[in-house]
Amino acid sequence: MLFSRRLMLGLAMIGTMAGTLAVPAKAEGPTEVDLFFPVPVDGKLARDMGTLIKEFNETHPAIKATAVYTGSYDDTLIKTRAAIKAGKPPAAVIMSANFLLDMQIENELTNLDALIKADGTTKEQFLSQFFPALHGNAVINRSVYGVPFHNSTPLLYINADKAKEAGLDPSKPPQTWAELTDWAKKLTKREGDKVTQWGIAIPCAYDYCGWMMETLTMSNGGRYYNEEFGGEVYYDTPSMLGALSWWNDLIYKHKVHTPGATPGPAVSTSFISGNAAMMMLSTGSLTYVRDNAKFAYKVAFIPRNVRNAVPIGGASLIMPAGLEADKQKAAWTLIKWMTSPEKSGWWSRATGYFAPNMAAYKTPEMVDFLNKNPDAKTAVEQLDVAKPWFATYKTVPVRKNLEDEVMLVLNGKKQPKEALAAAQKAADETLKPYNAETSLKLP
Amino acid sequence: MSLAEPAALPVAASVAPRLNVLKRFMGRFRASLPAYLLLLPSLVFLALFTYGAMGRVLVDALYQRATPKAPVRFVGFENISAVLADPAFAGAVVNNLIYAFGTAVPSIALALLFALALSRTNAVTSALRAALFLPVLIPMVAASALFLFIFLPNVGLLDYYIGRLLPLLPNWLGDPDIALTAIMVITIWKNAGYYMLFFLAGLQSVPEDVMEAAHLDGAGPYRRLRHIILPELKPTFLFVTVIATLNAVTQVDHVFVMTQGGPSNATNLVLFYIYQQAVEHYDIGKASAATLLTLAALMGLTALSFRTMASREGGA
Repeated sequence: MLFSRRLMLGLAMIGTMAGTLAVPAKAEGPTEVDLFFPVPVDGKLARDMGTLIKEFNETHPAIKATAVYTGSYDDTLIKTRAAIKAGKPPAAVIMSANFLLDMQIENELTNLDALIKADGTTKEQFLSQFFPALHGNAVINRSVYGVPFHNSTPLLYINADKAKEAGLDPSKPPQTWAELTDWAKKLTKREGDKVTQWGIAIPCAYDYCGWMMETLTMSNGGRYYNEEFGGEVYYDTPSMLGALSWWNDLIYKHKVHTPGATPGPAVSTSFISGNAAMMMLSTGSLTYVRDNAKFAYKVAFIPRNVRNAVPIGGASLIMPAGLEADKQKAAWTLIKWMTSPEKSGWWSRATGYFAPNMAAYKTPEMVDFLNKNPDAKTAVEQLDVAKPWFATYKTVPVRKNLEDEVMLVLNGKKQPKEALAAAQKAADETLKPYNAETSLKLP
Repeated sequence: MSLAEPAALPVAASVAPRLNVLKRFMGRFRASLPAYLLLLPSLVFLALFTYGAMGRVLVDALYQRATPKAPVRFVGFENISAVLADPAFAGAVVNNLIYAFGTAVPSIALALLFALALSRTNAVTSALRAALFLPVLIPMVAASALFLFIFLPNVGLLDYYIGRLLPLLPNWLGDPDIALTAIMVITIWKNAGYYMLFFLAGLQSVPEDVMEAAHLDGAGPYRRLRHIILPELKPTFLFVTVIATLNAVTQVDHVFVMTQGGPSNATNLVLFYIYQQAVEHYDIGKASAATLLTLAALMGLTALSFRTMASREGGA
């Protein structure tokens, strides 16, 4: 008995050792690549990613891809940078689309032009697969640095039941800020001084707040930032002043929006529970609303004051700098496979993001899906008026320079005009080192 | 240094004591060699993961790049002066002082109260002790996620109950005037039970005979507390104060989860400021400088309090 147990242990040990030895021998077979992926919305994404990568490995025996979960968009940037610093960059990363410029400035990205050329296509042909609105965040200085993977735009969500109750027609959603203000007034319910139902909710927490400010500024004719050059933002401008003043008026003049800064989850919970009759939120929340709303809802374009325009959101596939040639090739195969029409469409249906590859909407599965869920179509249609997501040198701090001031306004502590002047001053200061090296570096 | 300085001394005279010192040192080293060998594994890990990292921070704090594409260069104390001149750092320090004071005092007071109320052991007090200790067992991140829903404006648990009493509901985490207080409440809820344990242990060391004597002398509960229990608990107070202060600087998980330092930097604490510099601004030099300043302040504080504790214990 004792003998046999010892023998078994010995055998097990030899087995383990043999296994350890066998691994390096096997590694000469498939090229191993790591893919860093974030989960920005809900936990189901991780399982879907597992399914996707398993299918890739089964169809590509020469490559062994491993999906590594890296937290939120911000965490993914941190982990990618840490891996690059440690000299072991992942072969591909799903990176928040507006971090690409900052990474390119820091020399952390692989220029994809050579790989596209090696495939026998041109940059223009390659990019023409994707919605034009997405090009701005993938191309830097006329070179391709990212491939759009999943994207979103902001939408107006309307509680159709409450709209009917208030005598409004949900099939004709508000098109302009004036109409939206009117709707919000009619949808706000009061008991004396106390509000029991808010007309509209717009999220404001770090990250979301900047995106909503870009949304409102763009539909007010503005630009928010210089799309061609990472050293400028347009905070202290009439278009942004109008946007912030209107948001401020919704709270303190019309009293149809709850005071203070409200994070995204609080806004969606408020909408689902019927506490807010309308909200502005990402298309990424559409699946959540579809699954949880116990009332009829309607999605619509973001209303305009000057023009219809919204920023995109979402993520692109990138390759960090400093990869070995074989890994680069394997990662490129993976990236092309993941952004192909079939896979792009599958991922879109699984997650709620829209598929960046236009051909995905021609696949029979997608046509079928859109017929069943017409609300998913609105996000795609709005793409015609979509523009790039703000990206500057040090995108996050420059964005926070604005968000901190917007939060003060929403809390009634500052007036829009002085807040935007302060935000502009702070952002100019943050952008100073980059300008010193580019626009202000004179011969 | 002091041995080398009197250079006028004859060489022969200085050699012998030096040899002696060396020999004594070697002897002592040989005697304690097994101790060092036994300590070696943990020393290796400490060196790798604690002192190594601290050394790296020290080095990083001295370097900076002028523009994004420029190489890093040695700048000496420039990073430290840049951090000290940064209004965001000053704001974080002020917030952290408010936070430290506002969490340490109430949680220690509550802990003492709980400990006094539950000092006798029976079935009821055991159950209550367990209930009060429960928040300690919940990870801070999980607790923050829970409180995120409790604090939800308009629809959260808190507003659901308070909403009947107030005309306008506060936006607990979205209003810069209230957010820091909301964060502090969670810390107090989380830590009071933990500090209670120390006070319960401290109460065991209050001599029974002194208490009985006081009782016989007709001292009421207040006088017994004021003149016997509290003086006996002095070392516990000191220790818990140090722990609470360290916690106020090092445990900021809920800031990460709930507010990200916002709104408008109202809940930005020193550790979160360091994180922002390193991750968002990608400014390793400034982040390291801020880390050094924090580390120095914490070490100074700890050394000071332990010295006071030692002198008090020695003096008593």
